[in-house]
Amino acid sequence: MSYLSIYYLFLVIPAVVIIYSIVPKKFRYIFLLLVSFALFFYISKKLIVILFITILTTYISALFINKLEEKKELLLNNANSEEKKEIKNKFKFKKKLLLIIYILINVSFLVAYKYLNFFSINTNLLLKLLHIDYSFKIIRIVAPIGISFWLLTALSYVIDVYNGKVEAEKNPLKVALYISYFATLIEGPFTRYADIKDSMFAGNNVTYDNLCRGYQRIMFGLFKKMVIADRLNILVKIVFDNYIEFSGFSSLLGTIAYTVMLYMEFSGTMDVVIGSSEILGINIKENFRQPFFSKNISEFWTRWHISLGAWFRDYIFYPISLSKPMKKLTISARKKLGNHFGPLISGSIALFVVWFLNGLWHGAGYTFLAFGLFHFLMILLGNIFTPLIIKICNKLNINRENIIYRVFQSIKMAFLVFIGEIFFRADTMQIALGMIKKIFTDWSIRTGEISSLGLDIYDYIALLIGITFVFVISIFKEKNIDVRNEISKKPVAVRWALYYILIFSIFLLGAFGHGYVPVDPMYADF
Amino acid sequence: MEKLIEILEGLQPEVDYETVDNLIDGRYLDSLTILSLVSEIEDEFDVEIPTVEIIPANFNSAKKMWELIERLKEE
Repeated sequence: MSYLSIYYLFLVIPAVVIIYSIVPKKFRYIFLLLVSFALFFYISKKLIVILFITILTTYISALFINKLEEKKELLLNNANSEEKKEIKNKFKFKKKLLLIIYILINVSFLVAYKYLNFFSINTNLLLKLLHIDYSFKIIRIVAPIGISFWLLTALSYVIDVYNGKVEAEKNPLKVALYISYFATLIEGPFTRYADIKDSMFAGNNVTYDNLCRGYQRIMFGLFKKMVIADRLNILVKIVFDNYIEFSGFSSLLGTIAYTVMLYMEFSGTMDVVIGSSEILGINIKENFRQPFFSKNISEFWTRWHISLGAWFRDYIFYPISLSKPMKKLTISARKKLGNHFGPLISGSIALFVVWFLNGLWHGAGYTFLAFGLFHFLMILLGNIFTPLIIKICNKLNINRENIIYRVFQSIKMAFLVFIGEIFFRADTMQIALGMIKKIFTDWSIRTGEISSLGLDIYDYIALLIGITFVFVISIFKEKNIDVRNEISKKPVAVRWALYYILIFSIFLLGAFGHGYVPVDPMYADF
Repeated sequence: MEKLIEILEGLQPEVDYETVDNLIDGRYLDSLTILSLVSEIEDEFDVEIPTVEIIPANFNSAKKMWELIERLKEE
């Protein structure tokens, strides 16, 4: 099921909103929990047991960690300075042990459902290569829906409790809702308990203002998917399935189309997630911040799927780069290599782990690992060459804030993103590398090639209108102008005229009917 | 506080640390500089900065960093 399906948008959400408004305030979060479990059960049936185990272990672990902390404080009050150190060390060890057991239990679900087959297939290949007559059985298993999202959301809560960032929640139903909240269950974004708890459990009233703002956002998401993503899907499928028949130009076009499609589909889904939560008075942080306006690929990933990047930054990058041995390495390397290259060593080791896991998170396959490692390499090279580029620019009197330089930077950034997305979309490494080779070597456009990409002139016009519309809205956002706020200040006639234009443009320009295949919710598979 | 300013100037000399209060948000200090900064502060002031404390609010100005160091020393 997709969040962008008509069924979900115009049947599930209105029904949830109506019942939510009728239910007494203090029971509203319980109603949301029931909806979440129902959605999960509807899709993954008995695998809901895995979700329950995660909820239970999360709830208990956080409570235990809190209890240990309370006990430690009590003992510290009556201890001298010698004893204090011993008590602190003892409790630190206990807390850490508990956290590790919790993480191992839950990550094992992820490994079992998502990675076991990949590891088994590769181990079998290795065994065959070594002439060892043994092979692991490959079992086709279906993972519980959204496991990559809700599992990491649960982990963040327990780690935050461990770090003393939030208090452990005593009400198990609230922990359950935080982990399985229906709007973020399938495609995220990753929320943090400290950010969401107040609005999630308050049972806020549905106001006319929130309803308007929420549905405007939802319709904007639907526009992105139906007008742009579903249309580009045709071209993308043709190019990636038959890349051998096309020139490098079409390969590049297919890659650009795929990147734009992925953005429109995923950010459109986030519009639905954030918009529907807004109606219920639940605040969810943005997951995209105009990524294509970035200066470099590193900045791009702080603006695209923000919550995933932030998760890796807080729970992988900093814990590794600021671990004791790494800190020692940073200090000694800085003395020898200077301010720029000194911290680069520990930073790069942590960055490698982050991008390796980022690739793996997206899927168990070599193309996804290549996607992660490609980004690691590009960001590393960017870091290594930054001082040299600044030096050259200064020598040649090039102003790096100049508009031409900025455009050059953006084109370079976009090109690298497109190449990265080839790995992301291609079914095999052979296809990915074949397409990249074509882009760099084969520019012989054959006659009639453009018309064989599956789109007609009407499609290209619709795409041009759609992308321009999203681009203009993005410029407003980049300039910190809240378009929905501006609309709400307009007279009622103008407001409704704008709503109708948006709705009719979806009907008029939307890619449905014969020949169109709606794009699958891509991130739901991760 | 003087020692902290000295560390900061050693890492990124082109900033007036007495007045600037958006060191992170204004992108004066990048993530690699933060790695050096945290390591140097811990080494110099004998404190341990937990990763949860590495947030813009604690590193946006020299004053905020000093407050963090003082707080961690007390703990």
